[in-house]
Amino acid sequence: MTSVSATSLIRRITPVLILMTSLCTVVQPAKADGHSAAAEAHIAAMIGSAKSLLATDFGDTATRTKQVTELLDTYFDFPGITRFSAGQYWRAASSAEKQEYELVIREVIIGTVLRNFEQLKGLEYSHVTSTEKGSKLVLVSGRFNDILGERPSVLVNWRVTTLPSKPVKILDIEIENISMLITQKQENIAIIRTNKGEFGALITAMRKKLDS
Amino acid sequence: MRHSVSMMSQKLINASVAFFTAVVAMLAVSGCSSLPENQRSDSRDPFETENRKVFAFNMSFDTYVVEPVADAYRTGLPRSGQRAIGNHIKWAGMPSTAINSAIQGKAENAGLATLNFLVNGLTLGFADLMEDETPIIKEDFGQTLAAAKVPEGSFLMVPFLGPRTMRSLIGTIGDMVMDPVGTLAGSGSLQSINQLRTPVAAVDFRARTFDAFNDVKYNSIDPYSRVRSIYFQTRSGMLEDRVSSTISSSYSDDEFDAFFEDES
Repeated sequence: MTSVSATSLIRRITPVLILMTSLCTVVQPAKADGHSAAAEAHIAAMIGSAKSLLATDFGDTATRTKQVTELLDTYFDFPGITRFSAGQYWRAASSAEKQEYELVIREVIIGTVLRNFEQLKGLEYSHVTSTEKGSKLVLVSGRFNDILGERPSVLVNWRVTTLPSKPVKILDIEIENISMLITQKQENIAIIRTNKGEFGALITAMRKKLDS
Repeated sequence: MRHSVSMMSQKLINASVAFFTAVVAMLAVSGCSSLPENQRSDSRDPFETENRKVFAFNMSFDTYVVEPVADAYRTGLPRSGQRAIGNHIKWAGMPSTAINSAIQGKAENAGLATLNFLVNGLTLGFADLMEDETPIIKEDFGQTLAAAKVPEGSFLMVPFLGPRTMRSLIGTIGDMVMDPVGTLAGSGSLQSINQLRTPVAAVDFRARTFDAFNDVKYNSIDPYSRVRSIYFQTRSGMLEDRVSSTISSSYSDDEFDAFFEDES
């Protein structure tokens, strides 16, 4: 009697279970696709803007600086980059130090892009895949190929923030498994620690390097 | 008879290089006291003071020797020649990859590396005759030790070799000692090619990464800590078989998770 009831129970709940499982499989990716699609669209838009920037670049430093700055401001999360790169020392910094650091790290990043600007020419980007990292971050992966085939192709992972009620922005670029933001953060922390935890020492060192 | 004497001498050279490297590293480590944890700029780097001195030496050596040679190599040698040299260096590392993959139970990678070594051996690896697009993942003895759960040990900056952990340094020595290409090279021109391989590989690497390397060397505020960070991230990619992968490291995921937790 018990076995018959169990069998009939299994028969009854099986369609329900199948329905629930299929609903879950349908619902989850749809939610995931929302974030991923927004992040992928953001990267595609940034690549489009970068392409037209590169196409219209004639080597004029002032124009190039202006356009690169605009591009970075539009697509990158500078406030997030600023806080992340200062690590645990951000909280302890004074508001004057925070303001100064925000300016100086921005100059450092723009300077890095400008220094390597020529290397971006002749590259073609193709999207590979996207992976959601919780609800706030999407890892968008793509590949840069040299049109002439002289340089090896490079895999790039973009960390894109998808925070509620905030615009989608790029927080980090990972090139061949090396995160630019983590590298910057570890360098910054090393400088602060070798200067007995003084946040101001990092700002001074960065300013000195920029001025040199 | 002559062949076996030459094989012996090659092995002796390999062992001497390995021994020299080990002695230098051991002296560097034993001759210095480790920094207390709260004085380190990175908890994995207890010998930072000495490591920074070795780094300064390596950078001087790079400035006066490696960088100019690498610059001449990348600008003077035709692309096809650079590609052939790159292929040969990759080919010479195949036995090590095959052996270490086999020890780690990565049968497919071991098989592919063996096949690649045998097929491309027809041209000493200078031409890539393999049509198979399946990537061969480089495996070294340091990765084998990591797979066997040998602890990573401290971070070390080794003269000429650059950044290592204690475990990866032992791995490098292990790879040098059990390098079968050295034994197979025998004598004559093959042996000369084999002896030149290490310095040529260094120049080839420096040439391939010329602009990125110079950017770190000349434009970083603290090139030492930047190199250390890049080394750990690259090594973690190799240990987790994530080279050229769309999977992020668990370490970086943790870093970003912690950041968002702090923010909320």
